[in-house]
Amino acid sequence: MLRYALTRGVLLIAGLLVSSVIIFFTLRVFPGDVAQLIAGTQASPEQVEAIRQSLGLDKPLLAQYTDWIGGILHGDLGTSQLSGASVGAELAEKARVTWPLALMSMTIAMLIAAPFGVLSAMLRGRAGGTALSVAAQAVAAIPVIWAGMMLVVVFAHWLGWLPAQGFPRTGWSTPAKAFESLLLPAMTIGIVEGAMLMRFVRSATLQAAGQDFVRTAAAKGLTRRQALIRHGIPAVGLSIVTVLGVQVAGIIVGSVVVEQLFTLPGIGRMLVADVGTRDLVKVQSELLVLTGFVLVIGFLVDLVHHAIDPRQREEAG
Amino acid sequence: MSPFRSTRRSARLAAIGILAAGALILTACGGSSEPQTTSTGKADPKAGLTVGLVLEPTNLDIRHTSGAALEQILVDNIYEGLVTRTQDNKIEDRLAKSHEISPDGLTYTFTLNEGIAFHDGTALTSADVVSSYETVKSDATVQGNAEFAGVTAITAPDPTTVQITLAKPDQNFLFNLTGPAGLVFKTGDTTDLKTAENGTGPFTLQRWAKGSSITFSRNDDYWGKKAGLAEVTFQYIPDFTAGVNAALDGSVDVLTAVDPNLVSQLKDSGDFTITTGRTTDKATLAFNNAKAPLNDKRVREALRLAVDHEALVEAVGAGQPLYGPIPELDPGYEDLSKLVPYDPDKAKALLKEAGVEKLDLSLTIPSFYGTTVAQVLVSDYAKIGVSLEVDRVEFATWLEDVYKNHDYELSFVLHVEPRDFSNWANPEYYFGYDNKQVQDLYAQSQAELDPEKSADLLAQAARIVSEDDAADWLYNGATLTALTAGVKGFPKDSINSRIDLAGVTKTAG
Repeated sequence: MLRYALTRGVLLIAGLLVSSVIIFFTLRVFPGDVAQLIAGTQASPEQVEAIRQSLGLDKPLLAQYTDWIGGILHGDLGTSQLSGASVGAELAEKARVTWPLALMSMTIAMLIAAPFGVLSAMLRGRAGGTALSVAAQAVAAIPVIWAGMMLVVVFAHWLGWLPAQGFPRTGWSTPAKAFESLLLPAMTIGIVEGAMLMRFVRSATLQAAGQDFVRTAAAKGLTRRQALIRHGIPAVGLSIVTVLGVQVAGIIVGSVVVEQLFTLPGIGRMLVADVGTRDLVKVQSELLVLTGFVLVIGFLVDLVHHAIDPRQREEAG
Repeated sequence: MSPFRSTRRSARLAAIGILAAGALILTACGGSSEPQTTSTGKADPKAGLTVGLVLEPTNLDIRHTSGAALEQILVDNIYEGLVTRTQDNKIEDRLAKSHEISPDGLTYTFTLNEGIAFHDGTALTSADVVSSYETVKSDATVQGNAEFAGVTAITAPDPTTVQITLAKPDQNFLFNLTGPAGLVFKTGDTTDLKTAENGTGPFTLQRWAKGSSITFSRNDDYWGKKAGLAEVTFQYIPDFTAGVNAALDGSVDVLTAVDPNLVSQLKDSGDFTITTGRTTDKATLAFNNAKAPLNDKRVREALRLAVDHEALVEAVGAGQPLYGPIPELDPGYEDLSKLVPYDPDKAKALLKEAGVEKLDLSLTIPSFYGTTVAQVLVSDYAKIGVSLEVDRVEFATWLEDVYKNHDYELSFVLHVEPRDFSNWANPEYYFGYDNKQVQDLYAQSQAELDPEKSADLLAQAARIVSEDDAADWLYNGATLTALTAGVKGFPKDSINSRIDLAGVTKTAG
């Protein structure tokens, strides 16, 4: 187990390093820079150059990269080139919107995927099962932005139950209001992700139903359905944990779109704004934190998987 | 193209069905029923005002950061310069009690008002003015550095006098002092200007809730007439529909930059007075004069004749047509509408003459300007056989491709700065417009001591630029402001670049 964790840990760190290189250098391909934005449309090229120098943008790229990574190794995500504010502090503040949103989205996705996935597997070959599968296919294909707009029309405009956009200025000190404002955005992501996850749950359930241990249990006198529920579902749970790791990335991408649509002051919206102003030190740190988050989740999923799957445990000795 | 596209406008859909009852007040747009402050006597000196604005500043350092978002709220309210400008762009003394320009136009002598103090309590003297302006002159990263290029000496003969000497007369110099370059900061101040301030104005910064609002408090120790409001909160609402909703539900008292397409909702509610303010926003359709086929005047003229300017203004919803580079609020304005009649047939003939009957052109436009202008241009140009490909980009990309690298054919942006004619006299500017006569006339206008004569020279130069069809000025922007009852003295013109709050009051209740 320890050896396994160590190998995965080394891979995790290597993954982060490679990501940091990719993030840093691809961002440099963007046209325009923050100095030009600070200077505006009345500035001479000399003024822009002076600003670039004052921001250290004239340094070689490699030096800029090592400065950035060096800071991160000391736990410093850097400061915004535009506002001079600490990137870490701002990320922490915006995370108060984005993490709850991601968590709620994930919960909704699970609440949809687990029961309907198992149900559609059990109803395989019948009309109900086919209908569920088709519905899942259709919903999973909906672009998040369209789903969001439809939900706004129904729940905000027609029914008037939930706010169409925004996050309370008072934040989580008014928990009910804050929760309410995140509900539609979370549903938007949750429904689309849930439909995708549901297809996976269905095929995992079907696979489990064909497994030896389920068949053995059935042979020992349980009905097929009982056998599936008693012995198959735990195996399915295992696969879902794996997929959830991948799903996290989807939910983060979804939150970028959804935060725009619902004007939520979260990480996704900040990221888009920072790309717009070419505040690259901020953008790269934000992206690295998000990438790191996805990689760490993947790492944890691997460990959990390893710990609970009897087959893997035996293989590793 | 970045994968992160702004979807600000998509929330538009939230505009669905807001029907408010109430009396229809048909207070005509632009009716100048500007009420005078304190005339009713009911103004509440303890009142707080909430103002809805669109664009939040990225930081508060007005010395180092460009952009109207800063100037709009900080100049005159928090920071002050020796001189300032009124809503209609006239120059007025501020920290200076008086100023005098020597007959040769080279020496400016300012006498300071008495009792001026920074917000930390330190008295302001002429030495602070000298150090502030020395910084502008010597530090290229400070806003307005180029405007001080002609300054040869900045001295303080005594604590209340400042003298500035120029190498040659500069008709724009005093006006430049009304901008960020002219603001006075405390000598050797260690305040972090990005998040705090130490100005001399009638308001002080109370707090900045990033991503949401900025609040000012009245400076009760102000050296001049005290402000009429105890507190002002600028609430930043980037989405236009959300802004209108905020006004309707009473969370803002004043909404600036109202979307012309949404203004009827506010009018219909009966709770708001709408004012239409003039601006120096020039909606500029730039032609890359240095690039074929746009280096052919016939092609440029055809592109102007093909646009139905009146219809375009109507589609945009606010503003007035503008047929030259100088708007009404700036010196040198002249009605040039006769130069550009709407004449698609002549446009076609001109293109034929130029040998480009079928023409493919691209338009680079920052995406936050919406789609109206591009749509109108595409359809107007199609009628003369020009197919226009619209390239919607982020503003940063526009700055890089168009502004810096001059890599474009047609471009659209709003040039908002007042008195920016100099760009037409600068062949290095992205317009790529190089006309010796215009450059000479502009230089003369700057050297001319008499403002009237200087304006005449500018008008001549502007006429030539328009006759050359160096660009098309699609319209001169207007800005709509919605005020709830009880708000008095709120400025009307130019508030996209300056909101002087000192004279604003609100009645109790």
